[in-house]
Amino acid sequence: MSELAHAGADGGHDHSPRGWKRWAYSTNHKDIGTLYTCIALVAAIVGGGMSMLIRLELTEPGIQFIEDFQFYNMVVTAHGFVMVFFVVMPALIGGFGNWFIPLMIGTPDMAFPRMNNVSFWLLAAGLVLLVTSTFIAGGAGTGWTVNPPLSNADFHPGMAVDFGILALHLAGASSILGAINFITTILNMRAPGMTIHRMPLFVWAMLITAFLLLMAIPVLAGALTMLLTDRNFGTAFFSPEGGGDPIFWQHLFWFFGHPEVYIMVIPAFGVISQIVTTFSNKPIFGYLGMAYAMSAIGFVGFIVWAHHMYTVGFNVETRAYFVIATMVIAVPTGVKIFSWLATMWGGSIDFKTPMLYAMGFIFLFTVGGVTGITLANAGIDQAFHDTYFVIAHFHYVLSIATIFAIYGGIYYWLGKMSGRQYSEAQGRWQFWITFVGVNVLFFPQHFLGMAGMPRRIPDYPDAYAGWNMVSSIGAAITLVGALLFLWILYRTVTAGAPAEDNPWGEGATTLEWTVPSPAPFHTHEVLPEMGDDMQPAE
Amino acid sequence: MSDQAAPVTRAASSGGKSTRRAKLTAYALVGLIGGMGALVAAAQPMYRAFCQVTGFGGTTQVADEAKLAALIIPVEDEAAAGYVTVRFDANVNVKLPWRFRPVQREMRVRIGEQVLAHFEATNLSDKTIAGTATFNVTPYKTATYFNKIECFCFTEQVLHPGETAQMPVIFYVDPEIGKDINAKNETAITLSYTFFADTDQSQARKADAQRRAETKPVNRAGING
Repeated sequence: MSELAHAGADGGHDHSPRGWKRWAYSTNHKDIGTLYTCIALVAAIVGGGMSMLIRLELTEPGIQFIEDFQFYNMVVTAHGFVMVFFVVMPALIGGFGNWFIPLMIGTPDMAFPRMNNVSFWLLAAGLVLLVTSTFIAGGAGTGWTVNPPLSNADFHPGMAVDFGILALHLAGASSILGAINFITTILNMRAPGMTIHRMPLFVWAMLITAFLLLMAIPVLAGALTMLLTDRNFGTAFFSPEGGGDPIFWQHLFWFFGHPEVYIMVIPAFGVISQIVTTFSNKPIFGYLGMAYAMSAIGFVGFIVWAHHMYTVGFNVETRAYFVIATMVIAVPTGVKIFSWLATMWGGSIDFKTPMLYAMGFIFLFTVGGVTGITLANAGIDQAFHDTYFVIAHFHYVLSIATIFAIYGGIYYWLGKMSGRQYSEAQGRWQFWITFVGVNVLFFPQHFLGMAGMPRRIPDYPDAYAGWNMVSSIGAAITLVGALLFLWILYRTVTAGAPAEDNPWGEGATTLEWTVPSPAPFHTHEVLPEMGDDMQPAE
Repeated sequence: MSDQAAPVTRAASSGGKSTRRAKLTAYALVGLIGGMGALVAAAQPMYRAFCQVTGFGGTTQVADEAKLAALIIPVEDEAAAGYVTVRFDANVNVKLPWRFRPVQREMRVRIGEQVLAHFEATNLSDKTIAGTATFNVTPYKTATYFNKIECFCFTEQVLHPGETAQMPVIFYVDPEIGKDINAKNETAITLSYTFFADTDQSQARKADAQRRAETKPVNRAGING
């Protein structure tokens, strides 16, 4: 509502399109960021709904609701795809990245605004293709790893997998264009005085993420193209009868897939760093260490992929290498965890909702990291591979930790984005409900996994009944938290109290807090010049 | 990136240097994407070469003449562990209606000696089918020392309806295995094959047409009888 008025006042000569054209043709980084956030929200409802279906079926042993097992496979697969490519990535990278990179580095917009628009709509088209695939020929029940031979034309003869492949192609193209935009913007368009080593850590995180995207996505695209030609044009990259090797797919997929998990979590690191420093009222501890720890995680992330495939039969030297390389990641990750703790140490901590989420992130990401160290051991993984222990591990780091970063980031920046502030009491309730819910949901899955319960199967022996019931109750609590979040979001945007330019006080030192709330259509038209204290010199 | 940046707004100079720099950056990034794309495009032959060179996943070696010429068989010495048991394993993919089995289950093989072993395949269907066998050995660490001189798995095999064929493999275990601390104590190596129906059945069709041309009268008699 007031954005347009601002645009008139601030933009002067700029024409700001109205109505649907404003959104469909948008080249404005804030509008595109909002679009990304909205698509992530829609996808989260779809993907979250699917996870509730899964938990509903798994509440008790036996088959309750889902009698078509291919449908169960499809739900498991689509849940993974939707959450990875259409919830976490759009929310953290497309949403927060587009909104706050230009604001934080003090530039009016992204380097290539039109490409930014293309990037968003490619993603939207990808989501449409993915949803379409679930309605065709029983859907793609391949698991998110799309491993052949299950994903080849023998076992998935319909068009569903082809639709899924094209959906990922579009999402990948979208990410690549977005990544080019982010890197070019960050490297070339920082405000005077904003050196590389003075950028907020969120911007550092996005820079590293963008590089990971550029190097990982082409590998996925290549592998998917090979699978597409295997399925449709008689090539045999992954089928032994033509001289191919299904293990070759796994190498390619995980060469993309492991950096992909850092693509999801490094932006979350960035968000958490901003929140922790803001609410501790202290500069971040070990700024350079934090920035280069993220770089190190990104780099090492490319040379550990085979720890996802210990059971394919590597020799002992190969396994030893991947075990050690994987464990090395714990070092830079530890640097980050301890730097966050040191930032809080002695700080004047303000326990607002974003800070609760940030502290929850640090705690639960560490829990997920510890199970990651467990799984990094090739010997232990022989037993834990494809069990619920793995599910528990990656949901602690992805479903819990990155979703906490998304929740926290939205609470943190909602005032700047919408011009209205959420209710602190409601936010805290929402945090505690979610915190309890996700732990009740995922912690018992460690026990199930250690007892040998396999992933991706809709039924289980009675021995696993107890903890599955607990887990499903946790899912219900988490659902209450998610619904409460949607309600808070709705109430804030429609009837929240007007947000101050800087609602967080002295701790919030980054440039986005120097512009009005809501951020006007055009910002930083006169570039802020950063003094040595990293405040704009007036 | 310098701390003493000029006190002018960048917006005023947009379209100048900064645009050019942005374009350069973008081109460099497109180059990076192209580089990764090229790596993926080359990944398949690279993966194959990697497996062949390292014996990865139990990929056996192919001995050429030069290698054979250089091969020195150690002097027979009963006391030294100069023997290894080679076991034979045969599998058929479900889509290929063949029976496939090793003629001998296992052989005691002198290290360095060239050995001939046979497999036997029967086409159980009423169609001529071309198949190719994939192969590996376990333990994987012995793969670099397991050399094949001649093998039915090097080429496509065509079997007519009901036909049974003996399929030979000539191999030797490289004496170098004795110098590998990880592999020298292995007492048994399993050589495994899996036959798959070829995606490209043109060889089978050609062989079938040829056979029909040669045996037309007999065939007709057979059908009538």
